[in-house]
Amino acid sequence: MTDIEEGRPLPETPELAHREARAAGALGVLMVLAGIVVLIDAARLRDSDETLGPAAAPTLLGILLAVIGGALAFQSRHFLRTAQGPKRNLWRLAALVVVLIAFALLLPIMGYVVSSAGLFVGAALLLGAPHPARVLAYGWTLAIVVFLVFDVLIGLSLPTGPWGF
Amino acid sequence: MGDLLSGFADALTPGNLLWAFIGVTIGTAVGVLPGIGPALTVALLLPVTFRLEPAAALIMFAGIYYGGMYGGSTTSILLNTPGESASVATALEGNKMARAGRGAAALATAAIGSFVAGTIGTIALSAAAPLVADIAIHFGPPEYVALMAVAFVTVSALLGPSLLKGAAGLVIGATIGLVGIDTQTGQARLAFGLPSLFDGIDVVIVVVALFALGETFAHLLAGTGDSRVEPLRGQPMLSRDDFRRSWPAWLRGTALGFPIGSLPAGGADVPTFLSYSIEKRLSKRPEQFGRGAIEGVAGPEAANNAAAAGVLVPLLTIGLPTSATAAVILTAFQSYGLQPGPQLFSESGDLVWALIASLYIGNVLLLVLNLPLAKVWVRLLAIPAYGIYAGVLVFACLGAFAAGGTIADLIVLTVLGLVGLLMREAGVPVAPAVVGLILAPLAEQQLRRALALSEGDWSTLVSSPLTVILWAVVLLALVAPPLFARVKKHRRHIDEVRTG
Repeated sequence: MTDIEEGRPLPETPELAHREARAAGALGVLMVLAGIVVLIDAARLRDSDETLGPAAAPTLLGILLAVIGGALAFQSRHFLRTAQGPKRNLWRLAALVVVLIAFALLLPIMGYVVSSAGLFVGAALLLGAPHPARVLAYGWTLAIVVFLVFDVLIGLSLPTGPWGF
Repeated sequence: MGDLLSGFADALTPGNLLWAFIGVTIGTAVGVLPGIGPALTVALLLPVTFRLEPAAALIMFAGIYYGGMYGGSTTSILLNTPGESASVATALEGNKMARAGRGAAALATAAIGSFVAGTIGTIALSAAAPLVADIAIHFGPPEYVALMAVAFVTVSALLGPSLLKGAAGLVIGATIGLVGIDTQTGQARLAFGLPSLFDGIDVVIVVVALFALGETFAHLLAGTGDSRVEPLRGQPMLSRDDFRRSWPAWLRGTALGFPIGSLPAGGADVPTFLSYSIEKRLSKRPEQFGRGAIEGVAGPEAANNAAAAGVLVPLLTIGLPTSATAAVILTAFQSYGLQPGPQLFSESGDLVWALIASLYIGNVLLLVLNLPLAKVWVRLLAIPAYGIYAGVLVFACLGAFAAGGTIADLIVLTVLGLVGLLMREAGVPVAPAVVGLILAPLAEQQLRRALALSEGDWSTLVSSPLTVILWAVVLLALVAPPLFARVKKHRRHIDEVRTG
């Protein structure tokens, strides 16, 4: 459903609105914390002889982060207190993050093609792909095509493994 | 005019035509994929253009930009998954038409409307840009500061569900923009001693993380999607009646889209929704709205494309991006060694005119390509979601690696992807974050320059009539919406009392 006069999409169900409010609360708390980090970082900067030194912008942004984050958290305080809803696929999210970090770490060692194929297969399986063997074939093909187009054709040098691709 | 003709001469060489053709094709193909809007299309495909010479890269890039816009409308109509808020209005009526078996007509009115609006918009761009550049060349730092303040306020007010959430997006982006070495004093800010953060975080990485990874993560959390691709029957064609109802809507949409898009405020969302409500009000068959009215596709789609051309006016002439897509285009220019702004037309005029000429050419190519190939694009929609998102991740990582070149960039990508997920779940819009990321460092730089020139006198910020007007606009944009909402509420209350 969309409130077209206002041009704003509305959350579809009370449950979704609830979920959104909880996420907004979490984001608000995170913004307050980030604001504090930004302010601490700004405080250790050496001042210059300018009217506005290097610390001015971070100080302003730190305060804004804390104020806006505080407002978001305050708005959704009722939702933060209530019990957590059902855990939705959070382990899948964690697993995908692990796959991405593994891709980053293995890229220089294993080369682009192998790590990208691995990334594709891992992500596809976590997203619910039914046939692992087929996904493996798709992943290999995609990685090889990307390597050929970007490394060989366009000349973007991608990392290679001990086997040269 | 002579400049534009020589631009055409540059763009129409066989080699450059080929780049334009490749650009529109892959732009459409990627833009068609669900959940991928023009901003992400452009960001994902940016690495493709890295190794080309500037003219070819810009020409291909223009194709990708317009191709991504076209592809997005196909997805909105057949799948009801608008890739960005500017396509939401198209999806409203377009998807209803597709469900009623009129998908082909919806695609046709969208494609031809985009062509009409894109062409008129590009003509208006060629006329307006040099004029605005002539004015902008006299702008000093105080004018830039005031213009950016206008952009900050309107972007957070217009691109989000509420001013608070829009401002949250903007501030998050601006904070990411702080990371790196301060150019004036050489001190690292928010780098936490990590050498890979000294150069700042590349815009492409932020865009890809917030849009692509955020979307993929959100899809993973939501579980398997059950979106339905509406089948396409027949060739995309307009009947005489459809055409009669479409063309005034195209022109009205264009008339709304270009001027609003070219204001240094807010981008393409507003004109699409305005166009939708105007078409609804003017229609002789308002009862069809909500059930698949063709005017409701024609108007917003034209407005969207005209605004996409309009957004290029402040971008090219002032260096001021007002939408997420424009922010990515600005990065693209910088990676080709060009700095958008009033000097761009005098210093690299031939490149700019080649770009504008390619926009015309891209538009024609798209019309030729899209109507007959609609069925091919529809087949892309049938790729299962896991394949699309896994592929998007592969390209996202490739883009981040190409932009940054280190492992640390991939880690930053993942972390920012999680931030993007949280923003998405919280209903905080991502587009203001991208604008803030680009504009905040520029605003800081201009403000410090202004104060250095005035030797610390803050009154320099309101030293010219233009700056006073712009700051008044800032105040108005901050004060007016809540006031307006209150008046509306009050009126509604009165109406309720009257009707009992």
